[in-house]
Amino acid sequence: MNHDINIKELQKNCFRQSKVPGEFMLQMRVPGGVIEARHLSLVQHIADTWGNGQFHLGMRQTFSLPGIKYENIEAVNEYIKSYIEDIEVELCDVDMDVNDKGYPTIGARNIMACIGNSHCIKANIDTTTLARKLEKLIFPSDYHIKMSVAGCPNDCAKAQFNDFGIIGIAKMEYDYDRCICCKKCVETCAHHATGVLSVEKGKIVKDTCCCVGCGECATVCPTGAWTRNPKKFYRVIIGGRSGKQYPRMGKMFLNWVTEDVVLGVIGNWQEFSAEILNHKPVYLHGGHLIDRAGYDKFKEMILKGVELNPEAEVADKIYWAETEYRANIHVKPACNTK
Amino acid sequence: MSYSVSVKKMNEILKELQKDYKVYAPKRFEKRGRYSDTDLIRYAEISMVEEIVYDEKADFSPKEVIYPITQTLFYFTEHEYKESKVHDKGILIFARPCDINGIKRLDTIFLENGDQEDIYYKRLREKVKFILMECKEGWDTCFCVSMGSNQTDNYSLAVRFAENNLLVEVKDEAFNNLFANEKTTDFTPEFVTSNQVTVKIPEIDNKEILKKVHDLDMWESYNSRCGNCGACTSACITCSCFTTSDVIYSENGRAGERRRVWASCLHEDFTEMAGGHSFRNTPGERMRFRTLHKVYDFKARFGEEQMCVGCGRCTDRCPQLISFATTINRLSEEVNKLKNKKVSQVQAASKEVE
Amino acid sequence: MSKNLLLPKPHEILEIIRETEIEYTFRVEADLKVEHGQFFQISLPKIGEAPISVSAMGDNWLEFTIRKVGKVTNEIFNLRPGDKLFMRGPYGTSFPIDKYKDKDLVVIAGGTGVSPVRSTLKHFYQNPDDINSLYFIAGFKDKKSILFEEDLENFKTKFNTIYTLDNEQVEGFEVGFVTEHIKKIPFDTFEDYNVIIVGPPAMMHFAALECLKNGVPEEKIWVSFERKMSCAVGKCGHCKIDETYVCLEGPVFNYTKAKELLD
Ligand SMILES: Cc1cc2nc3c(=O)[nH]c(=O)nc-3n(C[C@H](O)[C@H](O)[C@H](O)COP(=O)(O)OP(=O)(O)OC[C@H]3O[C@@H](n4cnc5c(N)ncnc54)[C@H](O)[C@@H]3O)c2cc1C
Ligand code: SF4
Ligand code: SF4
Ligand code: SF4
Ligand code: SF4
Ligand code: SF4
Ligand code: FES
Repeated sequence: MNHDINIKELQKNCFRQSKVPGEFMLQMRVPGGVIEARHLSLVQHIADTWGNGQFHLGMRQTFSLPGIKYENIEAVNEYIKSYIEDIEVELCDVDMDVNDKGYPTIGARNIMACIGNSHCIKANIDTTTLARKLEKLIFPSDYHIKMSVAGCPNDCAKAQFNDFGIIGIAKMEYDYDRCICCKKCVETCAHHATGVLSVEKGKIVKDTCCCVGCGECATVCPTGAWTRNPKKFYRVIIGGRSGKQYPRMGKMFLNWVTEDVVLGVIGNWQEFSAEILNHKPVYLHGGHLIDRAGYDKFKEMILKGVELNPEAEVADKIYWAETEYRANIHVKPACNTK
Repeated sequence: MSYSVSVKKMNEILKELQKDYKVYAPKRFEKRGRYSDTDLIRYAEISMVEEIVYDEKADFSPKEVIYPITQTLFYFTEHEYKESKVHDKGILIFARPCDINGIKRLDTIFLENGDQEDIYYKRLREKVKFILMECKEGWDTCFCVSMGSNQTDNYSLAVRFAENNLLVEVKDEAFNNLFANEKTTDFTPEFVTSNQVTVKIPEIDNKEILKKVHDLDMWESYNSRCGNCGACTSACITCSCFTTSDVIYSENGRAGERRRVWASCLHEDFTEMAGGHSFRNTPGERMRFRTLHKVYDFKARFGEEQMCVGCGRCTDRCPQLISFATTINRLSEEVNKLKNKKVSQVQAASKEVE
Repeated sequence: MSKNLLLPKPHEILEIIRETEIEYTFRVEADLKVEHGQFFQISLPKIGEAPISVSAMGDNWLEFTIRKVGKVTNEIFNLRPGDKLFMRGPYGTSFPIDKYKDKDLVVIAGGTGVSPVRSTLKHFYQNPDDINSLYFIAGFKDKKSILFEEDLENFKTKFNTIYTLDNEQVEGFEVGFVTEHIKKIPFDTFEDYNVIIVGPPAMMHFAALECLKNGVPEEKIWVSFERKMSCAVGKCGHCKIDETYVCLEGPVFNYTKAKELLD
């Protein structure tokens, strides 16, 4: 067929180009990865009516519907209006006008999250609710950002590989008199976490330097000597990415911060991006953006107006550790740099 | 005599009582549960009716009030043993029938076993008066009726909680004057008469069966299930085991204490001697030991009643979802099978003789 | 208020006898009525408590033979004569000396197991007329683990003795486990007799089986159990085996009872 399609525009509309010319894959946002199951019938309808009958559980927790022909995109966009309204406006309180034209932008990517403490015995936080609050802050924005929310430092959500990874952590509190020195916490911390607990004088002591706040000790304690401080805390990892050139795990930016701090930081993202990109929302990985700004600048801008809680810790410096598929990948001819 | 008392008035009475008593009841510790955003309900001192969690089962039993998790026995200075002291107030405990009956089992161990009284237990125990919390329905893991511990008359006051008031039966005359101005009513506490769960106690009536019970395959199934965490015994109203140890607190090593802390037969080191030799080395063996203590050998020793009162907390607290009621019933079934086998063997043998 | 059953009393150490590198006998001043086979909770404030058998007794003194294996026992080894040991007890059952009177007695002991039965042996050594005959089989791992050498020497003069080492050849000692020598006891020549077996759990188990094989009736066998103990007064639960508390109904058991104690 003689196609003349502006694929960039369609991509922004959340339709991804297929290897079959003229076919596209719709990516529907599911912020936090949890929605009511009833929406599946809508997904099925799109797949059966306009797609190829299949759907992919998108790598970023989208509903991805392949095989949609270019000429049906308009109909699909009209059809998903109710879904966008339900999910973005109703569920996430996103400030946007929903029309017949489908998703207004793909910039800020779907926010991923593990199931969190609505289900998981390991989780420290309600990841779903947080993801929805974050969606309101970053959508619809043309500035690219990838985020993931993990319920605990186990990080099933791969927060370590996102521009911003948010991990739910807990401040553990120890009740000396309730402890029977069974050493279960010592064993479990060594086995699952950081091994910061040890026995001293028939009770438990902790090397607080390195507790990751996972809560395993509380889960295993038979007497409730270890409990979580009810206040919710978060660790924020930045600059993680995959990619062909130099993938890397993220690094800890903030530790023991409150939800207000997390929301404040993410709220600053658009302004930061705009400034660094000269107000042109071109596609650039968040990690690269931070690199371009330099960590100090990033830190300054992203923490602007954010009131850090007393427990908060902020990274002084960050030393990235990239996978260099090719040795000296960063060493380039001096006369030919971009 | 029984009275209908408003919550406001009851709070005043509690205030009055607190002059002479420490008052303990199940209390909510928000978001302090095992899993995130779950609450922990355990016994603690209260001063208001509103603090009492009467409509949920507490995660831990009231035993910690009279048998603290950590208890100092002696303080040491140089070479002197100084006995630890306790407060001089009385103790009032809001407790359910199962727990009041459970404390009777603790009495048996601490005050009777070995014909000597444990003074550390006794000195708190003799201060205790119970305020019975009426328990008419129980919860889905309770089997107090099967254990005969759904009822008690061992209480000074009994209460039924209603929306805005409490019905209080005053059995102990010492408390009469506190209620003198209240409206009388004809309340006496009711007791739960059937649970959702029932158990059949295994009939282990001779050593031959006991030996076979030890060898049952069923225990092995717990090797992969039980995590040896001891949550069951910690929650149990009737588990009384402890370990004694000494600690030095001062830098110069001169001061220290001898203390005891709760122990659990589910923990790997419960029988471990110096050098590392242990007598029960698998979760299954330890599960057998605990089960038999609860529904066989306590009674075999003391004659009257089983140790377990069917409060179901061990089931509630088990992170591996092992139901103790199911364990007991499995054991009963196995014991029946053993007995039937024996009977049929005897029959077969007598047939052969014919 | 009733007496505090967990409160120990200080007793002065009179003498320390080095038995082996890791086993010392502590003689302490004590005017207490103790029966053969009983034990005390020995403690050091700020260190801890440990159950230890009485290994000998005399006028105003008791002896304890202690193996250095951990926290408390290590610390006890640092003490000198004149220092104090803290003690509460005596606890537990004892060997029924009266029942052994005027009969034959066989004592089979392995390693530190000699210690709880030593006072019984000494009793009959001092009162040889109280007993028809006494056969004593003592086994140790090797030369350097031999305990009570002087006693062993003395016992030879009044008892029929078989001393054995697991796998070392030494003058005056046989080679092999105690169980291998049980068949040498002329059980069929005894009219009425008793057998005491004390030692590590496996040794007691196999020695008892060997005795039964040699026709010894169960009710003639006496054993002494070792279990983890934290209170010695029937409260802590550590020593319990089904309905039996080793600290109360033991450590000395008749075999008819002991064979039913399944951990
Ligand atoms: C009835 C009886 C009689 C004993 N007689 C003697 C004796 O005559 N000589 C001798 O050397 N040893 C004897 N033992 C063993 C002795 O009690 C232990 O070796 C001692 O408790 C080790 O203490 P520790 O603090 O030095 O060792 P650690 O290894 O530091 O501690 C061992 C831990 O186990 C506890 N424990 C409790 N009971 C025992 C036990 N039975 N065996 C081992 N650990 C135990 C200790 O209190 C401590 O908490 C006897 C044990 C029993 C039960
Ligand atoms: S919360 Fe800290 S102390 Fe507890 S298990 Fe995790 S790392 Fe260890
Ligand atoms: S798990 Fe709990 S009771 Fe056990 S040692 Fe740790 S804090 Fe103490
Ligand atoms: S064994 Fe379980 S059901 Fe029985 S008293 Fe203990 S906690 Fe309650
Ligand atoms: S079940 Fe175990 S912990 Fe509980 S009282 Fe019995 S022996 Fe002790
Ligand atoms: S609570 Fe469950 S898993 Fe833990 S020790 Fe008891 S039976 Fe085993
Ligand atoms: S040693 Fe404590 S009950 Fe026997």
